Amino acid sequence: MSGNAYDIDVWGLVVALAMVAVAAGVSGLMRMGIGRSLMWSACRALLQLCAMGFVVGYVIRADNVFLVFATIGVMLVAAVQITLSRAKGVPKGLAGPVLLSLTITMLLMIALVTELVVRPHPWYAPQLVVPLTGMLLGNTVSALAVGLSRFYESMDERRDEIDTMLALGATAWEAARPSIVSSIRLGLLPTMATLASCGIVTIPGMMAGQVIAGGDPLEAAKYQFVVFAAIASLTLVADGLIMAMVYRTCFTALDQFRSADMRGAR
Amino acid sequence: MNETHMTHVFTAEGVSCTVPSPDGERTVFSGLDFAIDAREIVDLVGPSGSGKSSLLTAFALLNPHARGTFALDGRDSSGFTPQRWRREVAYLPQRPVLPGATVADAIRLPFMLSVRAGGEDGREGLRDGNGPRRPGGLFGRFAALFRDGEANARRLLPEERIRATLDAMGCTDIDLTRAPHDLSGGQAARVSLARTLLTSPRVLLADEVDAGLDDENAEKVASIMSDAAAHGMAIVRIRHRPPDGRASRIVTLSHGVLSWDGSLVKDPDAKDANKEAVA
Repeated sequence: MSGNAYDIDVWGLVVALAMVAVAAGVSGLMRMGIGRSLMWSACRALLQLCAMGFVVGYVIRADNVFLVFATIGVMLVAAVQITLSRAKGVPKGLAGPVLLSLTITMLLMIALVTELVVRPHPWYAPQLVVPLTGMLLGNTVSALAVGLSRFYESMDERRDEIDTMLALGATAWEAARPSIVSSIRLGLLPTMATLASCGIVTIPGMMAGQVIAGGDPLEAAKYQFVVFAAIASLTLVADGLIMAMVYRTCFTALDQFRSADMRGAR
Repeated sequence: MNETHMTHVFTAEGVSCTVPSPDGERTVFSGLDFAIDAREIVDLVGPSGSGKSSLLTAFALLNPHARGTFALDGRDSSGFTPQRWRREVAYLPQRPVLPGATVADAIRLPFMLSVRAGGEDGREGLRDGNGPRRPGGLFGRFAALFRDGEANARRLLPEERIRATLDAMGCTDIDLTRAPHDLSGGQAARVSLARTLLTSPRVLLADEVDAGLDDENAEKVASIMSDAAAHGMAIVRIRHRPPDGRASRIVTLSHGVLSWDGSLVKDPDAKDANKEAVA
């Protein structure tokens, strides 16, 4: 595929950075106060992406099953850290549930998308498994962070309602359910918006990449759909799993409501 | 009728409440004992901040800061799930919370809950309810996840029954199809009370339900509750209004001590006369 691709040389990167620098300069002139962080983020992104490119290149060339899963393991740990740092107002000790829900989701994706749909040889094909995991994690991390923040916020907003429901004999699950539903819905909103608008307004990143690299657009579209379908359904699974694991942190063993200060929210 | 004298319908022993405060922990009260019989109305009074609400939420096992030994008909609360305990010992919060699109939905809320889905222990959520028995075991628990609570609630509590109950409570002014947030404060308080009364608990713990109501609405609320007591319910009311003559006892909680004014309760003749009048 790379034979048809148009490679980007060093000057291409310089032009791209210069574009960011101009934008940062303009924002500095308008005193928007985001110029520095924009520039800084762009440099960070360039370094991170190049590092990722080197690592993935090495993993693909090495073609070793242990190396593939070690890479995925590192990605999972980083994903847990990013999820917890983005989620606001969540209690401590959620690293385990987040890691478990991401791992289950990732294994489901490898089992279904890789082994059932694509069926590569060898079965752990790094050029397939590593980017797929990356895309899935990128999506689930933001869905989990939004979902967790929203869940605890909603539980505190609904405090009176929860106390009333518990007084009427509701179980912890029944009292938490409206908050669980609204947080899962909010976490899935971006995914559903992408599903609805792709192909009309936007050419999704993965498909665009394949087309630019000289792939057949229809093949690229099929790939893109499988990936979208997997991401949408597995994000829902990840969100549902995490909610089932953490909703009890808002209750005592006797199904009494624990407010934010009792949970030790950060 | 005498067995209610042998065992009180509800007893609480050694109730204490300790809340976290900036300088360590603060004990609101400790070692309190309380008992109430069926058909009795007990008023709980005392300065604000003395822990009256904490005491009532402790009775309903809703207070995470409270400890104590509670029993219903002599059965210890540890023999109940929290849900079944709260079905019998119902706490009615001061501020009415009425979720749902209509007043009827808000009233059906308790009947959407699994604790009233079927008569697990032979007692239906409604006295004449005829819900299906829930299949037990793992399958039952799994099926309960997908049970349509709303349809079940509609069947357990049809519109006509809500209407009849509200009318009997003198709430003819409340339209069931209205949105709950359109209700006046007095109407919302009465709907909230009616909702809990329809679940027929053995003990009702009413937390200043008549606060913020005008005299007319407060009177309506009080007469609804004394009707319920006449039908066998034990009722504890937190009140700030002057006594309305409906309570058989007035208990004061002040500086962590629960003391009762014995003039009403120590007269067994008066109480029996009251019961006969009811019967």
